[in-house]
Amino acid sequence: MNHGRVLYHLVKADFLERVRRYSFLLTLAGALYLAYAVLEEKAQLQVGQGYRGIYNSAWVGALMTVTASVFLTLVGFYIVKNSLQRDVQTRVGQILATTPMRKSFYTVAKMISNFTVLAAMVVVLMLAALGMQYLRAEDLHLSLWKLWSPFVLVALPAMAVTAAVAILFETLPLLRGGFGNVAYFFVWTFALASAVIGADDFAGMHVFYDSMGTALRKIDPQSGPSFNFTIGNQRPYRTFTWNGVDWTAHAVLLRLAWVAVAVGIALVASVFFHRFDPAREFSLWKQKAQNAGANGNGEAERVAVGDIHASVVLTPLQRSAIHGRFGQMVVSELRLMLKGLRWWWYVVAAGLSIASLVSPAAATRQGVLIVAWLWPVLVWSKMGARETQHATQSLIFSSPRALYRQLPALWTAGILVAILTGGGVGIRLLLGQDWHALAAWIGGALFIPTLALALGVWSGSSKPFEALYTVWWYVGPAHYTPGLDFMGLTPQSANAPVYLLATIGLLAAAYWGRRVQAQTA
Amino acid sequence: MKLVIDNVSKQYGNNVLALRNFSLELRPGVLGLLGPNGAGKTTLMSILATITRSTAGKVTWNDVDLAINPDAVRAVLGYLPQDFGVYPNLNAVEFLEYLAAVKGLDAPTAKRRIDELLNLVNLADVRKRPLGGFSGGMKQRVGIAQALLNDPQLLIVDEPTAGLDPEERVRFRNLLSDLAGERIVILSTHIVSDVEATATDIALISKGALVAHAAPEELLRQVEGMVWEWVIPSNELTAAKQRYLVSNTTRRSDGVHVRVLAPQPPAGAQPVLPTLEDAYLYSLSNHRMGAAA
Repeated sequence: MNHGRVLYHLVKADFLERVRRYSFLLTLAGALYLAYAVLEEKAQLQVGQGYRGIYNSAWVGALMTVTASVFLTLVGFYIVKNSLQRDVQTRVGQILATTPMRKSFYTVAKMISNFTVLAAMVVVLMLAALGMQYLRAEDLHLSLWKLWSPFVLVALPAMAVTAAVAILFETLPLLRGGFGNVAYFFVWTFALASAVIGADDFAGMHVFYDSMGTALRKIDPQSGPSFNFTIGNQRPYRTFTWNGVDWTAHAVLLRLAWVAVAVGIALVASVFFHRFDPAREFSLWKQKAQNAGANGNGEAERVAVGDIHASVVLTPLQRSAIHGRFGQMVVSELRLMLKGLRWWWYVVAAGLSIASLVSPAAATRQGVLIVAWLWPVLVWSKMGARETQHATQSLIFSSPRALYRQLPALWTAGILVAILTGGGVGIRLLLGQDWHALAAWIGGALFIPTLALALGVWSGSSKPFEALYTVWWYVGPAHYTPGLDFMGLTPQSANAPVYLLATIGLLAAAYWGRRVQAQTA
Repeated sequence: MKLVIDNVSKQYGNNVLALRNFSLELRPGVLGLLGPNGAGKTTLMSILATITRSTAGKVTWNDVDLAINPDAVRAVLGYLPQDFGVYPNLNAVEFLEYLAAVKGLDAPTAKRRIDELLNLVNLADVRKRPLGGFSGGMKQRVGIAQALLNDPQLLIVDEPTAGLDPEERVRFRNLLSDLAGERIVILSTHIVSDVEATATDIALISKGALVAHAAPEELLRQVEGMVWEWVIPSNELTAAKQRYLVSNTTRRSDGVHVRVLAPQPPAGAQPVLPTLEDAYLYSLSNHRMGAAA
């Protein structure tokens, strides 16, 4: 067997399958938007006390590379973390499992495939960097090495690690689903933060941190070791000339070592890879069910046989029995949402709910609410996506008034989850007649499930909400950031009208998306 | 009770015409919709089940245009799609309860109905087991049960016997026959024997067009006196297939028994009674030759 050829075709088929989806165009558009944000100075690299480099090839290359490394190691993870799952869903995996292919070969091939997708986005930014230097026009002398070497030596190894971690998460049962999506954000945050403490981080921030700091100290010895990648309108006001990273053999080897780490992670992933064995794909409850079948008269394949010629006995249904009570529909949706959760989920949710009600200090209640409205993230994330994920659209959309009953019932159930988990705070605010805070709380309780519903309907996946919500939760409510705090935890950060308006917009988007689905299921 | 499909066409993208000028009027009874893979059966089923719209023509239920008011039929519709999923964490009862709520059944009626249906599809013993552990045939039976939840007047079943074992297949055929009565049942399949056992009417579809619509007896009459059984040495089989329309071959000790459809018998061939499969193949062959000409 020619391994090179097999590897080539595995990667090629996977890559083509991805790039021929609309979602890939969206990711390329996202990469282009990143480039635009850098060009418009919405994303800035600030060194020392308010310094930035002049836009020469080295600075533009570094700035774009940092942008790529920061964003694509996060967003890219969620984009590529589905290659193994796709082989399970399409059942191509079962065919692959019957070939002589080794598990390690498969996981490494999938890592390379993930990497090619992420590298395609890096290439878009490389080309954009070329244009950016001319558009900024501060230094028109072009050095392709200085412009592109950071991409090759910093961004691409970072993409390799991201690609491999995505495979590892897919092979580990605990991290395969929504929990892994949420957990990755915290892993990523920790990994990036490690650059500040002097560690060589996979995203390559430390490379620039060292080099730029050294260059800056030559012209401003008083300048501190600050290195910030900022988003927004906070712009550096002083410039200095930075001529790029001195790529010594040691520095290059350190970066290439991350590629080796990526391959290592992919090989570790092969240990956990189930090789499409249905028995290993099963979660615990499924195993229990299967065992019960195996021990219980072989019921998994065959159930008790009745008389095949017996006449059908079905009581005719009175049409008056079909009236579609909305409350019944809401209860059904709520049961569906909460079904399958383990007992400890309810214990923690109940604990948070009680704590939010009985905590004496307002600050403590805020802290509890932050956690209480993160806890159901995996419950909310399936809203609107469940029908696509489990292929039940045709059953539901062929039912009467599905658009006007099932969708509002689902939305109501999502709000009920917000009330059940964080309701204590709402009650305290109501009793305390703190109307502004109560309005902000109501805004949050409506906004979160509506965001989940809209994203679920339009993406057909729980992943976008899991990723976006976790990041937003961290950047906004957890830091009381004005404008981003959708929970409205402090008077300074609360903005209830905006989130109530956003709720209306998202609800309209969900309705429109579901309507499109219902007509094309 | 009347379902009218009036000149319906469906185009996907720019150049894939899945249905072309398809017309049919249906009254209570079982319609067997027969056609080869890719003929447009599932597209037609999806349009009738109101989950996709035709690009031309209209479908009416009791004179109500379904493109304008799809709920007119949804309230009395039972639909078993060719491909459908289930929620793996729910058991059969919970899943059916959920769909009963979606269909608007009140709780006591739903409970009674689900009990009856689970008995009917032979799943009463595993009613509390999560659907994630069900085999393909068992999931298909859950699908059959959900299609009957609201006692539908229009029952559309798309390849319903896929994944069922022979015994369950017979059971389902009997169920369809018993259900027929005062409702319209549309059974889409490419398995002729399923239709043979249940259909009161047959519609043949090929390449998106209606090839024939008739009672089974009428279709059989078209090939009366045209079906022959011919015993030949096995090395002549390839030549026979090139020359005649062959509907079946069986190898026996005296040679290959070839079932041939032809106006004139091959030398030494004996006449035999036609089956619906012969009629189906003959109609499709005629349609293809007509299209080629």
